[in-house]
Amino acid sequence: MHLWRYLVLLFFLGSCSGRGDKTSGISILWNEEHAISISIPRSYFAHVRPDSITDVFRVHLEGVDQPAILGDVHILDDAVEFEPLIPFTPGLTYDVRLAGASFAKIEIPLADMSDPPVLSAIYPTSDTLPRNLLKIYLEFSRPMQEGQSLKNLVLLKNGMDTVPAVFLDLKPELWNTERTILTLWLDPGRIKRDLQPNQRFGEPLERETAYRLVVVSDWKDTRGIRLKQHNYKDFFVSVRDSLSPDPETWTIGAPAAGTRNALIVDFHERLDAVLCREAIRITDADGNSLSGVIELSAEESIYNFTPEMPWARGTFNLQCEARLEDLAGNNLNRPFDRDLTITADPLLKEIFNRKFQIE
Amino acid sequence: MNKLYYFLTVNIMAVLLVASTNRDAPIFGFENGTPAIQSISALAFGPDGVLFIGDSKSAAVFAVDTKDNVAVGKGMGVEMKNFDQKIASLLGTEAKNISIQDLAVNPISKKIYCAVQSAEGIPVLLTIEGDKVLPVSLKDISYGVVSLNNAPAEDAKDQRGRPLRVWAISDMNYANGKLMVSGLSNQEFSSTFRTIPFPFVNKQDQASLEIYHAAHGRYETYAPIKTFTTAKLNGIDYLVASYTCTPLVLFPLDELKAGSHVKGRTVGEFGSGNSPLDIITLTKGDESVLLMANSSRPVMRVKYKNLEAYAGSLTEPVPESYATAGVDFVTLPVVNVMQLDKLDDSHVVVLQRKVNGDLDLWSSGDRWF
Repeated sequence: MHLWRYLVLLFFLGSCSGRGDKTSGISILWNEEHAISISIPRSYFAHVRPDSITDVFRVHLEGVDQPAILGDVHILDDAVEFEPLIPFTPGLTYDVRLAGASFAKIEIPLADMSDPPVLSAIYPTSDTLPRNLLKIYLEFSRPMQEGQSLKNLVLLKNGMDTVPAVFLDLKPELWNTERTILTLWLDPGRIKRDLQPNQRFGEPLERETAYRLVVVSDWKDTRGIRLKQHNYKDFFVSVRDSLSPDPETWTIGAPAAGTRNALIVDFHERLDAVLCREAIRITDADGNSLSGVIELSAEESIYNFTPEMPWARGTFNLQCEARLEDLAGNNLNRPFDRDLTITADPLLKEIFNRKFQIE
Repeated sequence: MNKLYYFLTVNIMAVLLVASTNRDAPIFGFENGTPAIQSISALAFGPDGVLFIGDSKSAAVFAVDTKDNVAVGKGMGVEMKNFDQKIASLLGTEAKNISIQDLAVNPISKKIYCAVQSAEGIPVLLTIEGDKVLPVSLKDISYGVVSLNNAPAEDAKDQRGRPLRVWAISDMNYANGKLMVSGLSNQEFSSTFRTIPFPFVNKQDQASLEIYHAAHGRYETYAPIKTFTTAKLNGIDYLVASYTCTPLVLFPLDELKAGSHVKGRTVGEFGSGNSPLDIITLTKGDESVLLMANSSRPVMRVKYKNLEAYAGSLTEPVPESYATAGVDFVTLPVVNVMQLDKLDDSHVVVLQRKVNGDLDLWSSGDRWF
């Protein structure tokens, strides 16, 4: 039963109405770092009929007029557990009541502050970015709380002016499943040519201008612990990029057969750091994907693939999904916004292939 | 003896009849159990009290039989100050540790459903009736599920480890036997819109939707839809969609088919730095209006008759004379509306951040026309 539960900490503050001799044994049950329930020995319920325990046993936040917390009561042989719908919050005190009378107060200890989350990377890593930059990824060392981004991000122009409304206010935010990578969009309405926001306010970033992205340390992880420090990324804005990446122009450096040396693909431009890892794969002549390790270098303009097994002699394929984008949201099929008077109809290929030989 | 057989047969038949009409029996091919819901990003009601729960983290939509299907004509008004603090207290925490993900009103019972997420990322579903807030258990229920992942391409993770891509559900609506789902990717900037028949079968249509930018139709784009509704304009069903880059765009519904590439028509633009949050339709007499809540603009109101006046040429760019104005809209004196839903035909329920910082839930009627 509930094998994943384990008792880590017993934290008890006090009791009332002379029950001191019975107060030991109240405990907090933890799942990883979250206090998911409290366990009260059955001795506290000695005078309560078992079938009425759920009617009289309540847990409240400490304070006046606090309602009973929503959750489930589990009656076990030796204890009664209260499992709230969401974990108890570290730092808050809870009031345990029987028929309205408080008999214990439980404080949930704060998480271990010695292990704060860090911002491990900001993509793109380059310090020169196109004027129509579309996305920035923030990668954290631990799962972060959602809905905090716009409060904790500041973009400074020329070291002094705060640039307002540069990031799109998306609700909910775009986190990966683990809540460790956040995707931020610069307002696409201002990037897209001829839309009213673009015409009225111009693009969010100005050419030949220096910017600093500040990530404020108030941002908390899911344990409620703040980032270790403020973080900065300085960058300079260059020209607009309105061209799709073209796999035909990439340089493929093929390693020798029998080695586990990396295949090196030079895109000759910086591409989206996350999509490079997700949208490209290497397949053998039979179409099977190769296992291996992907590393990006030269500010996400060079793709290095080190296979798990040595390269065999023969023909291989660099398979690239059309959704691969550069820093300005131009993908392999079409640019971010297509000027119908200049560019041809978009391609509608799903996969782009580049064959290469291992000898 | 024969009488006894007759008696038994009648009784057995009666028992069978009761069993077959019992609402506890699964409907719509649902199964009984506890769905593995990892997040609630969007809520929408389907037929017969079925609630669709959009789960971005598991890239799936769950259909849950709420068994909440006793019809009510008018919704119970709601006026709840400090809504987030109230919910936080009931969950045993502080308002800063929760976020209100979505509201939906059951069109049969007119009960308000509210999805909340804790700081740890745990989803909670609640109902609100007047001043009563109650939890909705998602354990041991009758439910169905449909996956939103593209089958082959996204399974092939051999050389890339765990998938990083999230298909964030931005909005869902149910109409005419179909669940429509719009999504944003945390990776590519693209427009994905799915039409899923309900009851769920192993089939869904995915269309890529293209829009012209307003002026001259010179630039085109595939931006993601943020929120949408459906409407009948001049007798034709349309998808009325609002984009992350803020235009309001019309697509004929019957053109949205598998693999199809549909050109929509921009009929309005609503300013910079803004992300539309909710679109709903209200009807009074024979007039319908569209209401749109925005992240950094007041609530906007567009008359359907004005939209109809635009619906003449569907594949052409917006005529130049309309390029800057778009369809006429009225800005209502209601700002910072985070959630907007239809309570009944003429009332809305609103979650609003007040000037003093309070988050209030309230319902309103005629002033929205």
